[in-house]
Amino acid sequence: MNLLGTARLALSRIWATKTRSLLTMLGVVIGVAAIVALTSIVDGASQGINKSLATLGTNQLNLTALAPDALTEQDAQALAELEGVAVMFMQSQNEGTIATDTNRVNARLVGVSNQYFEAVKPEIAMGSYLSKNPLAQSARDVVFGADAANDLGLTSDMLGKTVKLNGQDFRLVGVLDDQAGFGTAGRVYVTLESARKIFSQYPYVSAIVVQAETPEGVDALQVAADRLLRERYGLSSDTEARYTITNQASLISAVSSITDTLGLLLTGIAAISLIVGGIGIMNIMLVSVRERTREIGVRRAIGAKQKDVLTQFLIEAVVLSLAGGIVGLILGQIAAFFLAILGDWEFAIRMDTVALALGFSLVVGVLFGVWPARTASKLEPIDALRFE
Amino acid sequence: MAKVVELENVRREYLVGDQVTVALDDVTVAIESGEFVAIVGPSGSGKSTMMNLIGCLDRPSSGDVRISGSATRELSDNELTALRSKAIGFVFQQFQLLPNTSALENVMAPLLYQGISTKVAKQRATEMLTKLGLAERLNFDRNRLSGGQQQRVAIARALVTSPDIVLADEPTGALDSKTGAQVIELLKELHAEGRTIILITHDLDIAASAPRRIFLRDGLIEKDERGHA
Ligand SMILES: Nc1ncnc2c1ncn2[C@@H]1O[C@H](COP(=O)(O)OP(=O)(O)O)[C@@H](O)[C@H]1O
Ligand SMILES: [Mg+2]
Repeated sequence: MNLLGTARLALSRIWATKTRSLLTMLGVVIGVAAIVALTSIVDGASQGINKSLATLGTNQLNLTALAPDALTEQDAQALAELEGVAVMFMQSQNEGTIATDTNRVNARLVGVSNQYFEAVKPEIAMGSYLSKNPLAQSARDVVFGADAANDLGLTSDMLGKTVKLNGQDFRLVGVLDDQAGFGTAGRVYVTLESARKIFSQYPYVSAIVVQAETPEGVDALQVAADRLLRERYGLSSDTEARYTITNQASLISAVSSITDTLGLLLTGIAAISLIVGGIGIMNIMLVSVRERTREIGVRRAIGAKQKDVLTQFLIEAVVLSLAGGIVGLILGQIAAFFLAILGDWEFAIRMDTVALALGFSLVVGVLFGVWPARTASKLEPIDALRFE
Repeated sequence: MAKVVELENVRREYLVGDQVTVALDDVTVAIESGEFVAIVGPSGSGKSTMMNLIGCLDRPSSGDVRISGSATRELSDNELTALRSKAIGFVFQQFQLLPNTSALENVMAPLLYQGISTKVAKQRATEMLTKLGLAERLNFDRNRLSGGQQQRVAIARALVTSPDIVLADEPTGALDSKTGAQVIELLKELHAEGRTIILITHDLDIAASAPRRIFLRDGLIEKDERGHA
């Protein structure tokens, strides 16, 4: 019999036992739906993280002090003189309190040098950035991160009004948007000069950020910055420094390798459930071969070759598995769509996910269909006909 | 007349565990094209074993079985299937229609296994069912057919490939006597058309309707009788 005829037999059998066929598929449906949904979660999550990281820029080096007196303003000025540096700014931060007349909460207070806002450009919800005018650096102005503003219950009519930082009066000039970028939400920004007066000690800074003129220049700049600081502190190249230099690009690749690993892990778990689904198909197919022993005997008697019987059962297994894969793919994509709404990331149907889901279910069908199909084809016609 | 079935010193033994059962013991017989032969004997005498050998479902332990000139002992499973498909049409006691399959599809199946196109198979199966008076039942599956109708579908299925031999194993065994008699009448008609019919039965009355009767006992031919009893 030709393949089309055999396929028709397999399909009509699947159709004739609809309920059982559906139940048989269920394992693969769940396995594939899980793979599709989990892939989209990992995708969405890494999309979100990458977007946040991208706000920091890939041409940026962060030098972070590991002790309160590890980095100074003079270090920062020296770094700014290095070849290939476009922008430099510094931060000095500490835990502190923020308060209105009625409310008082803890927050992270950050003093930033005047280049900060222009270099980072965090999105602002209302008001304005701190002034970059050198003459305005002594002004007691403050910009709130979104969460800090929320915690304190700030409203738009408070712009220009007084809030207290560590008990001292500041004028609220702006509030950042909650999408302003990685790490901004819980912070409260003042000028470095103001910070010196209330929570940080001259000349120390907690972090220095330098941005290279080009993303390609970052690696060279990282080496130069390290060499410069070691020179200033008289450290040999193998001594441990009291600061770390992180390169934004390597941070992004580190994070994406974490999300990749996570994706692999979740896909692995889903693949296991797919294998369990395959074993379910194999189990039902073996039962079905037993139940249909007589039918197989009759088919052999009226001219079916071993190959015809093998193909019929194999097609049955593959169709069940593939149909399960297609249903699983659809359910998985529906789940992914709603997860994308919940997680606020972009929904996209990825062709590689579709190929993976269908490819996997095809392989499962063949893999777990072969044994039952061989069992069926190897039945001796006389034994099969005698079978009660 | 050409010999369509030749059994020469055929022995068939079954090994179950370490127990050997001799089902056929040195049987030699020939059946010619166009004959109507009944193989008769009590239960356990070796009738089904003989049918399986003639039907190319099984091979002898020793001796030769030649069907339409081909010795089955040396054939591979595939070759045996091909010979069976060409030379034999089976009618079983329990009808053995395929489940969830219409009368038409049952009769088409042997043609499709021969590689004949669906269109031609459909046409030939329809003609055969019509000839057997089942034109109104083409799309009925076995659950919606009476025993007699099922057996007629099975006979149509056996005939549709125009086999050299129609092998009927207790074809009336599951039918009431009236319907059974109709099936025997049908076999007689087919014989009259020139077909070779081998009827296996333990029932002497039914055997009597065949012009030649081969009596089996304990795996041996006891009597080979010709002429109407
Ligand atoms: N597949 C088999 N395995 C073992 N013994 C068998 C098998 N088929 C038949 N026999 C034995 O061979 C003998 C003849 O059986 P069978 O040909 O079925 O006789 P009949 O059809 O005349 O009743 C019996 O003793 C039976 O038990
Ligand atoms: Mg028998």
